[in-house]
Amino acid sequence: MAETLTIGKALNTGLRRAMERDPKVLIMGEDVGKLGGVFRITDGLQKDFGDDRVIDTPLAESGIIGTAVGLAIRGYRPVCEIQFDGFVYPAYDQIVSQVAKMHYRSKGKVSLPMVIRIPFGGGIGAVEHHSESPEAYFAHTAGLKVVSCSNPDDAYWMIQQSIESDDPIIFLEPKRRYWEKGQVNVDSASLPLHNARVTRPGRDATVIAYGPMVRTALDAASAAAEEGREIEVIDLRSLSPLDMAPVYASVRRTGRAVVVHEAPVNLGLGSELAARITEECFYSLESPVLRVGGFDTPYPAARIEEEYLPDLDRVLDAVDRSFGF
Amino acid sequence: MTRVKEFNLPDLGEGLTEGEILKWLVQVGDTIALNQPIVEVETAKAAVEIPAKWAGQVTRIFHPEGTTVEVGAPIIAIDTDPGSGALPAPSAASLAAVDVAGDAPVEPGLIGGPAPGGRTAVLVGYGPKTTVAKRRPRSAGAPVVPDEPAPVVEVVAPVAPPPAVAAPAGGAVLAKPPVRKLARDLGVDLTGLTGTGPNGSISRDDVLAATTAPAAVATKPAVGREERIPVKGVRKLTAENMVASAFTAPHVTEFLTVDVTRSMKALDRLKAHRDWKDVRVSPLLLVAKAVLLAVKRHPMVNSTWAGEEIVVKHYVNLGIAAATQRGLIVPNVKDAQELTTRELADALTALVSTAREGRTPPADMTGGTFTITSVGVFGVDSGTPILPPGESAILVFGAVREQPWVHKGKIKVRQVTTLGLSFDHRIIDGELGSKFLRDVGAFLEDPEGALLAWS
Repeated sequence: MAETLTIGKALNTGLRRAMERDPKVLIMGEDVGKLGGVFRITDGLQKDFGDDRVIDTPLAESGIIGTAVGLAIRGYRPVCEIQFDGFVYPAYDQIVSQVAKMHYRSKGKVSLPMVIRIPFGGGIGAVEHHSESPEAYFAHTAGLKVVSCSNPDDAYWMIQQSIESDDPIIFLEPKRRYWEKGQVNVDSASLPLHNARVTRPGRDATVIAYGPMVRTALDAASAAAEEGREIEVIDLRSLSPLDMAPVYASVRRTGRAVVVHEAPVNLGLGSELAARITEECFYSLESPVLRVGGFDTPYPAARIEEEYLPDLDRVLDAVDRSFGF
Repeated sequence: MTRVKEFNLPDLGEGLTEGEILKWLVQVGDTIALNQPIVEVETAKAAVEIPAKWAGQVTRIFHPEGTTVEVGAPIIAIDTDPGSGALPAPSAASLAAVDVAGDAPVEPGLIGGPAPGGRTAVLVGYGPKTTVAKRRPRSAGAPVVPDEPAPVVEVVAPVAPPPAVAAPAGGAVLAKPPVRKLARDLGVDLTGLTGTGPNGSISRDDVLAATTAPAAVATKPAVGREERIPVKGVRKLTAENMVASAFTAPHVTEFLTVDVTRSMKALDRLKAHRDWKDVRVSPLLLVAKAVLLAVKRHPMVNSTWAGEEIVVKHYVNLGIAAATQRGLIVPNVKDAQELTTRELADALTALVSTAREGRTPPADMTGGTFTITSVGVFGVDSGTPILPPGESAILVFGAVREQPWVHKGKIKVRQVTTLGLSFDHRIIDGELGSKFLRDVGAFLEDPEGALLAWS
């Protein structure tokens, strides 16, 4: 059965399904209860599941995560919401030093089945601290898994799969895409959590994206098609671990790869992807792997963020550059 | 722009939905300055003063102190230009349309609803914009590869936008990127090459080899209505020789039809002779013998035009045109004038068989002085042969046929052939050519008589 939902509503419904299925699933975060979250992702959940399962926390991210670590050790499955990407840094110590290491530290005896939801990325005209893309910090940390959904169906299933995972998962939500609608198959998941997907096939160049940039990449592919160029779009979905097989297969066919993310290019996910593609597809490459991303500045003020964020034109300019080699 | 602007209660925290008016700091009729505190509002997080967004005169205060107001609802109206006279009576429509374009409220509780500028309303920020999958118009001459240093050239004319690059063939060709670069620089098409590098990739050597052997690619047989055969070897030599001869020596060709019945009978007797038991004989032998005797009688036929002088040779290197698999070759029997008939027969047999086997040494193909070409073996009667370069005459010998022929006053069936002689008119006039041809014909009509008479 398919339903048309926004990404936000799909996340809300997915959380509800998980809470119905497992009474150990808890939701905790700032304004997630009574307000239903600033983006309404947890809307109605406190009313239906009670304030001991949907918990409004103090404005202290380190405390939210630290508390969740204890709950997870005791067998709960906490789903923490960090209200905005830029608020996660107070919790960074807990995430890197405790969340990522507990399983290893305990020789595998203790697992932390917790999810840390982070609305990330810009494009909503918000103030400082509200538009960042911190995924590389987490993907770089062994012991964490990092995923990002880009469409309602993935939102619905990936949040449930993340909650079912016994490993801690950083769940990055494309906040500027919360209101984009799509079909959700509520009967079965189309892919396991850590698999990449070819979202649009094409033979001329491969554009790799995740989260909010998947929409941008797809728009770029549509525009390129009008110019007679077929771009293959790959949605990574999982940023750690990376599912590279579909990427390699695609690049071997097209010979060209462009990686797109909002985060700054320098030492971003695109750098790792470029390195791996170059190692594995060296003989097939018609041009270097190119990266499109944010600039190496702090995220700018809202009025000029459109100059900062990669858009359709920046993606296609990179594709043009690739064909220039 | 509207003179009177309404100011809406903003979201003073993040995710706040309402606030209580604690205290108004201004009254209707007050003239206020930009950023002057106008109201104190308490939210769930804190009590804050709100500054005036515009300078002007307060015309209306919407809510008394103590009222809880939803975020986005108007709280105060300000006449931004009070000096310009009385206000026109506001119509209902103008009230409804107050400043929608600039600062329309985010309707509280409608997160995700429409917001100004094609955006979606959110609690924090202007809200995300809806985008379209359309590429912006690109400026003319925008560099496709910005890595390259900008050329120091003054642009005097608008540059056309870069043409779309053709789609690649796909991952079929394996080559290291630097090899691809090399191939492109050398103009080598990688798709035509076989890779000998790692993983079957095309190596640097493969690319270089392709540049040194372009013919290998060029002579690929074209499937279709035409075939292209490279001109080389025997064909090329033949062409050069024929062109050189045809356009330097003015050719004349004469014909003579003769009754060779006696020659054919003489050949039969020769074959039956016990000394000639194992010798292969053919009409060519008698033609050769006839030529040698005729040359002796007319030496000028066996000569070379050398510009300032004519070189008359007292030896005959007798060339025989032979069709072989490699093409036409003309080996010659050196000093044929010295040979007995039997030696001549052996020499001709060896010459032809060696040629047919393709083993003729180069020395046998140079230095010819007179040539016989036998088109009779192809079933035709004659032709107008082109002189081998450096020779002044060539005899063409056609098919021997049984034909009605007047013999001793009666029509009889006789064996008849046609002789043709092409000669270089610079050396040989019609009289000499005719005499020579007639002598050859006379020998073939009566070989025994000619031998007795001339040698």
